[in-house]
Amino acid sequence: MKKTYGTPARQMRSLCFGAALAMATVASAQGAPALVLAIGGEPETGFDPLLGWGSYGNPLFQSTLLRRDAALKTEPDLATGLQLSDDRLTWTITLRDGVFFTDGTPLDADDVAFTFNQAKAAAGALDLQVLREAVAIDPQTVRLTLDRPWITFAEAFFTLGIVPSGSYGPDYGRHPVGSGPYKMVSWDEGAQLIVSRNDEYYGAASDFAQITFLFTGEDAGLAAAQAGAVQMVAVPAQLADSVPAGFHARSVATVDNRGISLPFQSPTSIDGQTIGNSVTADPAIRRAMNMGLDRATLIDVALHGHGTPAFGPADGLPWGGADDRVDYDLPAANALLDGAGWKVGSDGVRAKGGQRAAFALHYPAGDTTRQALAETAAALLRPLGIEATPTGGSWDAIRRVMHTDPVVFGFGSHSPYQLYSLFDSRRAGVAYDNPSYYSNPQVDALFAGAQSAVGLEASYPLWSEAAAIYGVNGDNVWLWLANLDHVYLINDCLDIGTPQIEPHGHGWPITATLTQWRWTCD
Amino acid sequence: MTTAFRIILRQLALLATVALAVFMLMKAAPIDPIDAYLGPAIATVGPEQRAQIAADWGLDQPAYQQFLAWAAHILRGDLGFSHAYNVPVAQVLGDRLGPSLALAGLAWLLSGALGCVLGALAALFAGRWPDRVIRLYCYVLAATPTFWLAMIMLMVFAVTLGWAPVCCAGPIGVPPDQVSFAARVHHLMLPLVVLTLFGVAQIALHTRVKLIEVLQSDYVALTRTQGAGALDILLHHGARNAALPAVTAMLASVGEVMGGAILAEQVFAWPGLGRATVAAGMKGDVPLLLAIALLTALVVAAATGLANILYTRIDPRMAAR
Repeated sequence: MKKTYGTPARQMRSLCFGAALAMATVASAQGAPALVLAIGGEPETGFDPLLGWGSYGNPLFQSTLLRRDAALKTEPDLATGLQLSDDRLTWTITLRDGVFFTDGTPLDADDVAFTFNQAKAAAGALDLQVLREAVAIDPQTVRLTLDRPWITFAEAFFTLGIVPSGSYGPDYGRHPVGSGPYKMVSWDEGAQLIVSRNDEYYGAASDFAQITFLFTGEDAGLAAAQAGAVQMVAVPAQLADSVPAGFHARSVATVDNRGISLPFQSPTSIDGQTIGNSVTADPAIRRAMNMGLDRATLIDVALHGHGTPAFGPADGLPWGGADDRVDYDLPAANALLDGAGWKVGSDGVRAKGGQRAAFALHYPAGDTTRQALAETAAALLRPLGIEATPTGGSWDAIRRVMHTDPVVFGFGSHSPYQLYSLFDSRRAGVAYDNPSYYSNPQVDALFAGAQSAVGLEASYPLWSEAAAIYGVNGDNVWLWLANLDHVYLINDCLDIGTPQIEPHGHGWPITATLTQWRWTCD
Repeated sequence: MTTAFRIILRQLALLATVALAVFMLMKAAPIDPIDAYLGPAIATVGPEQRAQIAADWGLDQPAYQQFLAWAAHILRGDLGFSHAYNVPVAQVLGDRLGPSLALAGLAWLLSGALGCVLGALAALFAGRWPDRVIRLYCYVLAATPTFWLAMIMLMVFAVTLGWAPVCCAGPIGVPPDQVSFAARVHHLMLPLVVLTLFGVAQIALHTRVKLIEVLQSDYVALTRTQGAGALDILLHHGARNAALPAVTAMLASVGEVMGGAILAEQVFAWPGLGRATVAAGMKGDVPLLLAIALLTALVVAAATGLANILYTRIDPRMAAR
């Protein structure tokens, strides 16, 4: 596709009509055009799965042991068989035959064992501490041994791309070699990533021979769409209504949630540190807030309508609670508070035994979405006689108060581990885990049972069951507000099929089904 | 010899002070580098893994030891390792210096030349409409943020008119090694124009004021009575005098052009140092940010030093002082 510029006249023309040049490049490919996506999310550390690349979507260059379809059902990828031992400590994995890396070397059990061992040792964003060791038994069989029964370890089977043991090195992230659906052509850091279809790929072939990922800012991405230079752009929900001609907006459902943590205990001192909050420790207050907060209005005002009401951290996922929701009912919420002895004072704020129903509501000051949610939620809690005072601060400041005051947090992942980290008493106060210091032996027991289940899918009902205890029909540990819509502006000719429910993090998750995308125009 | 030694010593002291100040600012900033690095993965990474990262990065050491370790590496010529990019700092700088130099360097030269011409024009027509137009332009530009100007230009010339590309240092979908020279120039033009327009104002205004002063001086009045034309006066009597503030303004604007380039690079997705600076700041990548800060300090200090030398060449009276 190299262009030569013979005559000065030709050179002048090319200077003046560079946009046309870019378009000509797009149109010159056979069949489906060379796709250009501006969905952001450039991984600055490179495309190294051992450091966490791929954990929020398609690893693109590498293949994983398992994958999830649009409905999040497990499908085999590199692994044709998985077996978990009776003591739940040993995974024995049989690998697909005849898989090759793009450098021509075969992918065998040594590569899988190497990938897992190396990922555990790497000081990256992937936590495989529970792994004891991975051993290749024969070229098609790998054995992974764990320290303790830990079913959420299986999450790595879906996200950890397998790298070649023979050639993996420090510069791997910038020159990835894998067995996935695409090969890297070039990565101009800060600008664009160009990939081409891996024609040796064993799976379904992509419709697109070349895909370019533009790493412009949001404004430039939108400008590029308006100039016709990209076929798909991820936009903040506030821009969902400015759709360029020939494009349509698509909102993808997510578990990219925002919720308010409610300190569960009455104020106590643990290891010299005060935790708990005398207002939110009252079950009636927590229940009344979950019942009396008008989430529909909250979403209309704070998110311009681009979200869905949230009731838990895993709404709609197989391990979330199916019945974990509550209807908006302000009179019932007020009646509940009246019954619990919270009397409305002259200033409109309830009080009980000298304790006003008031607390500070913290949010990270740089995050306009969370600020809008905090301000709006505070206004919507007033009719309940509850006074929340929105307070912006740095994460550093929030860290110091998050065990005593409510905070607007955001979560959402494709792993049930999320539930464990939010609600298990053993995670209370560990980093950002379980900030409410929630503790319920029933939940702990269900989670322990889930972690030692016979398989990841077999554990889903146990996780799900816990929602009845921690959720809006139980302890009301959190006040979940909304799941944010992820909005994409898509060329009318591009059919992206059925996307998955997306986790936290806008952009890459949409590529999970990339090989199924089709170009519908000539 | 002693002067050169004193200059070098002063530069070293400056660099050491900048390094220490930037390091302390980063340590005081409300950014946990591990949190920033993990991003959304923060919810899935346990304390053991965090400890592993901290140990690997040396963050488990006291702050003064971290700084001393960094300084020892620098003295051995090793700029350290960038966690934000997972490569040595030297490689980040090496990859991005070229595009940044092409953009900021050219913009600096062009804005200097254009600024002098506009300033001279304004001075010649002082008080009349060309002067008023140029001054209005300069005041508006001096008050305009670079990134805003960049976005307006992008909307007008790339989106509406389609004359310029919307981003990047080469056409979308073409690997960098296959981009022709013409295409490179074409992609450079819009960011270059933005940065040049941005840099012009200061230099034009300084040149104008100095030149007006010169044109009102006694010796110019004398040459005028002797029948010299406007151009003659400008070239033979005005240029040298006006060059002094222009050179000062131009060399002093090096820092501003670099700052402007950081913002323009963000808007145009220009693969230069600007984005690396932002990433280093946001992610608490201390070695990378220190290296960029030192480089910037070095360039600005060199520009000031150069201004001192040029003074004596332009106006020999300065050397006597």
